[in-house]
Amino acid sequence: MSELYPKPVFSKKAGRLLKTRLWPTERWASPWSQPQYRRSAGMLAGIIFGILLVGVVVGELSKWGDLLYRLLLTGTAWLHQTLPAYGAPAGFLGDAADITWISFKVIVIVAVINLNGLWAVWWERKLSAHMQSRLGPMYAGGFHGWAQTALDAVKLLLKEDARPADADGAVHRLAPVVVIVPAVLAFAPVLFGKELAAAKLDVGALYVLAVSGVSVIGIVMAGWASNNKFSLLGGLRSAAQVVSYEIPRIFAVVPVLMFVGSLDLAVIDQAQQGYWWGFFPRWFVFWFPAGPLAFLLFLIASLAETNRVPFDIPEAESELVAGFMTEYSGMKWALFFLAEYAYVLLACFMLSVFFLGGGAAPLPFLAIVPSWIWMLAKALAMMFLFMWLRWTLPRFRVDQLMDFNWKFLLPWSFACVGLAGIMLLWI
Amino acid sequence: MIEVAVFCSMAAVALVSAVLVVTLRNTVHCALFLGLSLAGVAGVFGTLAADFLFVSQILIYVGGIAVLMIFAVMLMGRTSDLTLRQVNQEWLAGLLVCAITAAGLLRQAKGFLGKAADAPARALAAQAATKPLGRLMLGDFAVPFELISLVLMAALLGAIFFTRKEDEPKSTENGKPGRGGGT
Repeated sequence: MSELYPKPVFSKKAGRLLKTRLWPTERWASPWSQPQYRRSAGMLAGIIFGILLVGVVVGELSKWGDLLYRLLLTGTAWLHQTLPAYGAPAGFLGDAADITWISFKVIVIVAVINLNGLWAVWWERKLSAHMQSRLGPMYAGGFHGWAQTALDAVKLLLKEDARPADADGAVHRLAPVVVIVPAVLAFAPVLFGKELAAAKLDVGALYVLAVSGVSVIGIVMAGWASNNKFSLLGGLRSAAQVVSYEIPRIFAVVPVLMFVGSLDLAVIDQAQQGYWWGFFPRWFVFWFPAGPLAFLLFLIASLAETNRVPFDIPEAESELVAGFMTEYSGMKWALFFLAEYAYVLLACFMLSVFFLGGGAAPLPFLAIVPSWIWMLAKALAMMFLFMWLRWTLPRFRVDQLMDFNWKFLLPWSFACVGLAGIMLLWI
Repeated sequence: MIEVAVFCSMAAVALVSAVLVVTLRNTVHCALFLGLSLAGVAGVFGTLAADFLFVSQILIYVGGIAVLMIFAVMLMGRTSDLTLRQVNQEWLAGLLVCAITAAGLLRQAKGFLGKAADAPARALAAQAATKPLGRLMLGDFAVPFELISLVLMAALLGAIFFTRKEDEPKSTENGKPGRGGGT
């Protein structure tokens, strides 16, 4: 262990512990947590690693997308010309090309969700460890336990799939599927960069918010089918929470939609390009006063929608064991977590598209950096915020949660829509 | 061709699960199939290029009403009853209502049956339709739109009125000044 904790030398002259190298965060750290702060290298490496991992898949490969699609189409057209004897109807090969192409996109999206789950769990573990002055995973893989989540996934695959004897079999088995499927579906119109989305939907913004609300049915199914009081309570809490917080969440987006006049995510992204006075980005979060207010409301409501601390009462482990997940094990349990992290990523992308300018660079001269890097960096910064909040705040009580939604968030979201209307009079 | 296949499968999902809603004996299963049926209707809207209807169907019916139904059924406690009859004496009246509704819908749809959408209609369906829809709602059809919102408002107030407790005495069991009426 002596290698992990190099002994600091106490210098009488300086009056403090001396070290050869100091990370910027170390200077303000308490002496007790200084050895942990030394591991900040791992944090930085993690962020860069994540950007590369998710970004290379989506950002770089997608550039070849149009070319691939054209190749596919010409290939099928050639097939149709050379092999007309098979008597396939004229539209058939075109349809086949479309189906293949859509499957490609789905595979890319599923890869994003899986990689995000793999990476975000590790990041969250490291982050929580650093915030609470411990090390987190350190051994698996060698460098800062980078292989921990991958090995965890292997472990979860090998685990016994336990099911209570009195559980409702079909519903219990289907619940994780109902949770994960909307998570994948909701990613369809998500912008990963400028004009970089799997599907161009005219109602994209509303679609994402609508489809991501369906997962709660799966959570309630899991809670009920487990035939367990803790699970049922978790499921019921989740239903009440998600249905209530969906309202201010949608109303918080309304000011943005009013500014843009469209529900299309690409148009919303496009509307935030450009700068005031040549350097100040025209992101909606800076459209005082409705913009920052809507951003805050959407952030809080998104936290609640993704069931994360301080809004994680559906799975509050101090009261409900693990809530709706109590009776799940192995890969089914992992699917719930995968869906949770997918929703966190989705909420972060939504935050960056709606309020943080999407693929727009913060300063004009930085526009040479590709838009998908900006989009991803903003989304990951928001993800960091989510995790930061999770590991620093205690959780709400059930009644506080409902009061907070109905008596604070909802009136303020209405006020926000009104403010946006007044602002539109002057713009 | 894809559209037809997806349309037919979505319609099948909606119909089959609608039948299961009324025939299954486990109430929770019924509520879940209700959600599936509503999602199937949303899928039908989606294949007909009615994007906004598709999204609002999911948002309001699948994500809202179906969840509330499931919530209510679970709170009820007794989830299945194997002895209760599935039909009551009013089955003939119900059948008649269904027949009349189906006949009316068929009459309306007759003009479109067996006809493929022509090129202009397809082009119209492909372009963005949300903005014109909004303009129509608050322009030509402003009066019916506002009337519907008035009806919804009345229903909302009625629901609050009926679920509200009678005014309790001002003190609670602890003797502390309570919250007053159950608002």
